[in-house]
Amino acid sequence: MLHRTTTSQKILYYTLLVLLALAILFPIYYMIMISLKLPKDIYRTPSLLPVNTTLKNYLDLFEKRDFFINIRNSLIVAAAATFVSVLFSSMAAYSLVRLRYLYRNWIGRLILFTYLTPSALLFIPLSVIIARLDLSNTLHGLVFIYLTFAAPLSTWLLMGYFKGIPVELEEQARVDGGTRFQAFYRILLPLSAPGMIAVSVFTFTAAWNEFLFALIFITSPKLQTVPVAISYLITGDVFRWGLIMAGAVSSAVPVMILYYLAQRFVVQGLAAGAVKG
Amino acid sequence: MIFSEEANDAVVERIEEWGAMKGVDVEVVMINENETVQRISAAIEAGTMPDAFDLGVDFALLLSQTGQLQALDDLYQQIGDAHGGWLDAMDAILASTDFGGAIYGIPYAASGINVLYRRVDVLEPVGEADAPATWQEIAVNSAAGQDPPSHYGMGFALSNVGDANLTTTMLQSWGGRIADDAGTTCTLDSPETRAFLEWITGAFADGLFPPGVTTWDGGGDNTAYQSGNALFIANPGSVYLNIRENDPELLEATRFSGLPAGPAMHIVPVTAKLRGIPASTSPEKTELAKDLFAFLAEDEFMEQYMSAAIYGPALDSQLEFAVFNESPVHIGLADAALNGTPGTFPDVDNAALAEYQTNFLTPRMIQRIVVDNLSIDDSIAETQAACQAIYDKHNQ
Amino acid sequence: MAQPNLTRGPRAARGGWLRLNQRQSEGLFGYILLAPIVVCLATLVVYPFFFAIYISFTNRMIGGQAEYIGLGNYLYLMRQPDFVASVRNTVVLVFFVQLIKLVLGLGIATLLNQPIRFRQFWRGLILLPWAMPAFVAFITWKLLLVPQGGAFNFILIELGLVNTHVEFLSSKALAMPSVITASVWRGFPFWVISFLAAMQTVPKELYEAAVLDGANAWARFRNVTLPSIRHIVLVVILVSTIWTTNSFEAVFLMTGGGPSNATLTFPVLAYYSLQSLQIGEAAAVSVALLPVFAVLALIIAVLLQREN
Repeated sequence: MLHRTTTSQKILYYTLLVLLALAILFPIYYMIMISLKLPKDIYRTPSLLPVNTTLKNYLDLFEKRDFFINIRNSLIVAAAATFVSVLFSSMAAYSLVRLRYLYRNWIGRLILFTYLTPSALLFIPLSVIIARLDLSNTLHGLVFIYLTFAAPLSTWLLMGYFKGIPVELEEQARVDGGTRFQAFYRILLPLSAPGMIAVSVFTFTAAWNEFLFALIFITSPKLQTVPVAISYLITGDVFRWGLIMAGAVSSAVPVMILYYLAQRFVVQGLAAGAVKG
Repeated sequence: MIFSEEANDAVVERIEEWGAMKGVDVEVVMINENETVQRISAAIEAGTMPDAFDLGVDFALLLSQTGQLQALDDLYQQIGDAHGGWLDAMDAILASTDFGGAIYGIPYAASGINVLYRRVDVLEPVGEADAPATWQEIAVNSAAGQDPPSHYGMGFALSNVGDANLTTTMLQSWGGRIADDAGTTCTLDSPETRAFLEWITGAFADGLFPPGVTTWDGGGDNTAYQSGNALFIANPGSVYLNIRENDPELLEATRFSGLPAGPAMHIVPVTAKLRGIPASTSPEKTELAKDLFAFLAEDEFMEQYMSAAIYGPALDSQLEFAVFNESPVHIGLADAALNGTPGTFPDVDNAALAEYQTNFLTPRMIQRIVVDNLSIDDSIAETQAACQAIYDKHNQ
Repeated sequence: MAQPNLTRGPRAARGGWLRLNQRQSEGLFGYILLAPIVVCLATLVVYPFFFAIYISFTNRMIGGQAEYIGLGNYLYLMRQPDFVASVRNTVVLVFFVQLIKLVLGLGIATLLNQPIRFRQFWRGLILLPWAMPAFVAFITWKLLLVPQGGAFNFILIELGLVNTHVEFLSSKALAMPSVITASVWRGFPFWVISFLAAMQTVPKELYEAAVLDGANAWARFRNVTLPSIRHIVLVVILVSTIWTTNSFEAVFLMTGGGPSNATLTFPVLAYYSLQSLQIGEAAAVSVALLPVFAVLALIIAVLLQREN
């Protein structure tokens, strides 16, 4: 150990950690608690502890409204967008880092700058383009949009990652008789796995959470993604808090599990990619 | 689109029944009313409009101006004749000069009607059990009955949401006008507007509004009433449906009445929910859509629909429905549909006024005073300028 | 990788394929690898971007004809008090959210970098707010802050700390701080995790040397930690600033831009302008946001330059 931690330091650390945990967990706790209350109790009996605990909201959500379909849609869209985006981004990042050609730096910068475009600006023109490509009201239309929006940042992070891997390793592989593709596949890809995972997690979350475009481009209830389905629980001027919070809990859980499992890679990938980038 | 799921389901079922009868494949898509404009805008730009759709009068005005809707005069006449004629309010609403003399939508219900809810269990003990006849009376009753922070009097939104445009109605009840009779010049800057603002900002300063009214969302009044935090609210009936389902005790303690009058006028706005056919629909499908509209207007179905929905009648024959003679809220809705003031009366209903309303200029004028501490004169001057800019834009 | 015959690169070239020299074949391969992403971005970002700029100079309504009106939309906007307010609000919101996240991020990352038990657990816990859909996070915060049924008002009133509701979202003084708090809550995990990751790559020897030199905790943080993670701090600030500036949900869901225009930001204003179908005007609002992003782009360009 670097230096001894004194008892008073320990007390300080853990007090701060507990405070932090409270700040993080209280809103989450309240969300879960409300999702277990009856509509009447939510309004008439405000409380911090559960009153008349019920699973009615969840039953309504999954049985009457078939929320599974929405979760499935979100999973399909997010997984597909992530896969294609990471594939395209790693191709681009490899090209921009390892190959030499005209305007390389300019193209790299332009790709990054597209990330700066405010999405509110793209809303109307995009609806025209998506319709002309015959992609409105389809899940692959959303996949196309999400993978494109995520690609610049992914490319940028992966560029940083690839730069950190000594080019000699690949050269060695190619001297040994491998093709460029084999060098990429056998050397670069495994070495940059944490970076790939980090980028995948970012893309997945962004696609899982996106609200505005899903709202605009998907019209059939059977194709709605989770955030859109939750927003439809607000009918006209009624906020059904119980149902909304049940939907919120159900939609946050898959991503939270994903994050918990992938956290080590996220941390490593981000560190390596951005620090060396 | 409609606040009642039961009513929505009934329409979908009816349309599917019609589809089966005609051998036509139909897809019914329900969209959230708050998002209609975004969704339809994207669809128009993209050329993916449905063959027929529901819309409000304001939106129909905007769309008809860019030639997005088909004229349906014949069908309007036909359906009217088959059901004892349209209510006067429907004729008046569709006669707006901005429609250019044609009918671009078939009304299926009188909407936008607010009914006043009041908590008699609290108001009776303080001797204010009767329905208030004027807006000023509501303020007086509120002051007598309220007991902050447990409950406040006037549960009317003053935020940037559609509900808050009720304040435009109040303003008109005070004799204020948004624009002149030609519908081209903004006339907000008037002694009547000033008097109204003095009253409402005074009530705010006296603490008669529940906390949060300046940022309430569309469900603010609903939440406040259901949590017992407001004694009075004005609502089209969704709150009624909600408390009927969830809170019988509260329903027991609630009485309904029509919107009260102001010092100058008694304004009870009635607008209409329309069904329209986009210009992009093929002639063949247009005929089908017209047939569907007539099918949906049949009394047998409408009676079932109206008892689940929270709208007023649009056709004479609908006045006979049991629900309009039995349910307290629906009696109020029917009464307003018959005797209310059409559309934006006394102001001219045109695209400029619609934009004035979608920009929530009246509630914002009030917020400028109660939130930003502007003087009444400054707020009127600022809003008058913003209003005139909108009217100028539409008169170019 | 869908082009196996090309991926053979230099060898194929030497074999005389298309008679390209090594350099040319490398370039061709490079462009082919770039093609998918460039096509996607050109279709869904670059083209719509210029299209939006074009319509911002017209009086186009939805479905209507576009007529060139020059700077008309911009002049109309400049006169709107809301526009001016939204510029100010966007700057205030982004500045404070980023500042607080920076301080919290560095502080909490340092804390988690100490020898504490169950570090994995704490790290997972920190990530929770960020793993939640923004939509869900902000609607939950709204539920915490509203007067009717909100947790915070309930606690304050039950404890007798206040005798009337606190208007977290609807008073001019508290609305912006409330939105900032919620945005920080949702956004800080990304900062903590990124900083922590960077701190863990700092060689232990540097700290040991600093301890030998008699440096206290603050001096070690200033002279060892900060310089080592400087780069990632900059990256995180930039990326997160883009996210925060573009963010629509926080304000829209919690306050709708109110009370009055106290929390109205650019993206929300653009959304509202669409309500009246004036797409020319709506586009102008979003285009007016571009100078802000141009500054960000400039910073990135400078950073990239420095690296090379």
